[in-house]
Amino acid sequence: MSTIVSPPPTRAVHTYATAASWLETWSDLREQGWETVLLDAHQGVEALLMGPPGRDRDAHRSPLVSLRLAAEPAPQRPASPSGLDILETLDAEMRIAGEEPDLGWQAPTSVPVRGKGLFVYPLGPARADVAESLLYRLAVMGDEIVQLDLSPHFKRRHIRQLVRGRSLLDALPIIARFTTTSNVHHTLALAMAAEAAWDVPAHPDAAATRVLLAELERAVSHLGDLAALAASTGLTVPQMEYLHLKETLLRVNFALFGHRYLRGMVCPGGLNASALPVDADPVPAAESVRDILRSASAIAGQLAHTPSFLDRLYGAGVVPPSAIRQLRPVGPVGRASGLALDVRQRLSYADYPPDLRVPVLSRADAYARFRVRVDELEQSLDLVLSRLSAWDPARLSHLAVDARAFSGPPRSAQGVGVVEAPRGLLAYRLVLDADSGRLDHLGVATPSARNWPVVPVAVANGNILQDFPIIDASFGLSVAGWDS
Amino acid sequence: MAAMSDPAAVEVAAPTWDRFPRRSVALRHLDAGSCNGCESELSLLSSPDYDLTRYGFSFTPSPKHADILVVTGVITEAMVPVIRQVFLQMAAPKRVLALGACAADGGIFVGAPGVLGSLAGIVPVTVTVAGCPPSPGDILRGLLAVTDHRDPRAFGEAME
Ligand code: SF4
Repeated sequence: MSTIVSPPPTRAVHTYATAASWLETWSDLREQGWETVLLDAHQGVEALLMGPPGRDRDAHRSPLVSLRLAAEPAPQRPASPSGLDILETLDAEMRIAGEEPDLGWQAPTSVPVRGKGLFVYPLGPARADVAESLLYRLAVMGDEIVQLDLSPHFKRRHIRQLVRGRSLLDALPIIARFTTTSNVHHTLALAMAAEAAWDVPAHPDAAATRVLLAELERAVSHLGDLAALAASTGLTVPQMEYLHLKETLLRVNFALFGHRYLRGMVCPGGLNASALPVDADPVPAAESVRDILRSASAIAGQLAHTPSFLDRLYGAGVVPPSAIRQLRPVGPVGRASGLALDVRQRLSYADYPPDLRVPVLSRADAYARFRVRVDELEQSLDLVLSRLSAWDPARLSHLAVDARAFSGPPRSAQGVGVVEAPRGLLAYRLVLDADSGRLDHLGVATPSARNWPVVPVAVANGNILQDFPIIDASFGLSVAGWDS
Repeated sequence: MAAMSDPAAVEVAAPTWDRFPRRSVALRHLDAGSCNGCESELSLLSSPDYDLTRYGFSFTPSPKHADILVVTGVITEAMVPVIRQVFLQMAAPKRVLALGACAADGGIFVGAPGVLGSLAGIVPVTVTVAGCPPSPGDILRGLLAVTDHRDPRAFGEAME
């Protein structure tokens, strides 16, 4: 099989002196349908914009532009709301992109509730059987949830501060523990940002393996989310089946790459092949993956014919249209809400097929999120199989961590890396010391940080308390990726 | 193929020989600043591959029903009062299992603001399970070490 390795997406950088001119360009492009993500709102502002797909198909799938605002103060809360709600998006992005993200962000439509008969359930930070720490405050009137407030801050490890002043390779193990269930994508985004800054492209031999790692990670993550969703509806049999498939795939990961969560493989410049087990054998691994694919389709097929499951998911936790417009959720949550953004399609990285099709649904409810994950899981396992069929670890042995190439003065003091993590768009922005190449500052835009603000408005949208665990599970977000 | 298990993972920090309920042991998990890797492995204990109920273990959402507190993560300052409160609410006899490199000694996050990196002085730790994350098999060994006061691997070696 011949692999087509696309060049890394080039990014045009435009710098603005005033907040007004920055904002004008930003909102113009938004109105033309460009996707935005605010990479950083610290020492100036940097937004990444991805053009609509299909314009420039041969070279890059989407044009990529960075809008940089060097000056303070940053653009602030919009004076008047726009018809397209795009300034609300900016407001939300600004609040979650700072070095101290404003985690308590609520949709502008949310108002404090009080009244007779109102009861507030505090849930957390210790909650459920095995769960990350987060405090939910559910205000209910009878059975109906009228408001949800989320309080994070329990888990902060201050990762952005911790990596400051470190060399890239010293920061890498910390970034690999940002969110372990997405560590391949975190390190990949960091590696791509470093490759851009030092202008050292990743070795082409690493491209197919990077796809293999990324899709194994996505499949494990989706299997875990589907197990949690089945558990939330009280269906133990599919929960156990999904958990068994997840465990089986984690063992495949271990057999191929020596780590159940694939940590330590992706590094700037390519791969750390020295960590590959000597006896990695793609043939039995492919056999297991084929079994997993078959079983996963069978379980999903049975769930799709289980009325007690469908009843709980259909129409539950609908993300309101205003929140979709204002917050633009990413990943499976966004794609279940009619937003067709998948970075694998929009930007060329690693060696994804140019005709990759991603499922997009518009119901925006728990069922749509379930369906999107089911379809993406099958697609990921297909991609794993196609990369495994031509995968020969012996041909990777020349790939190693090149510490020298990524230390010392970088070609450009800033680098950006954007990937499609299992939970959605994940972007890293490095600001490097011009002499030593050490990290001056790190900006990270995680999919969970972007999607959590959608949860309260989807929960307090005509649902009853008994729906809450199901809606919560249907989002499949990580707290570590938000409260970092 | 290398084994997923780490022979040295389980460390019994404070062997105590008073009676401990052996047949039915309820676990209360508490995340004190994890990366969600330890949670991912912990939740696999319920899978048919490990099935923790075979050994009498089960998860409970209520501290009042819990016998073992399983703590993951770096131990952030914000979680200290929560850990204390949950342990206080548990009925004696009760034990604490520190799970993963972070809970054991802060791991790679030592020195980050608000990160304590240790349960010392907060709750008494009976057993520590190393690993980042520890595999579900090693977590089970750690749980059995809490109830049996020694790493079950030691029994296996004695029989070999
Ligand atoms: S020990 Fe490792 S896997 Fe567990 S929470 Fe810490 S970094 Fe994550």
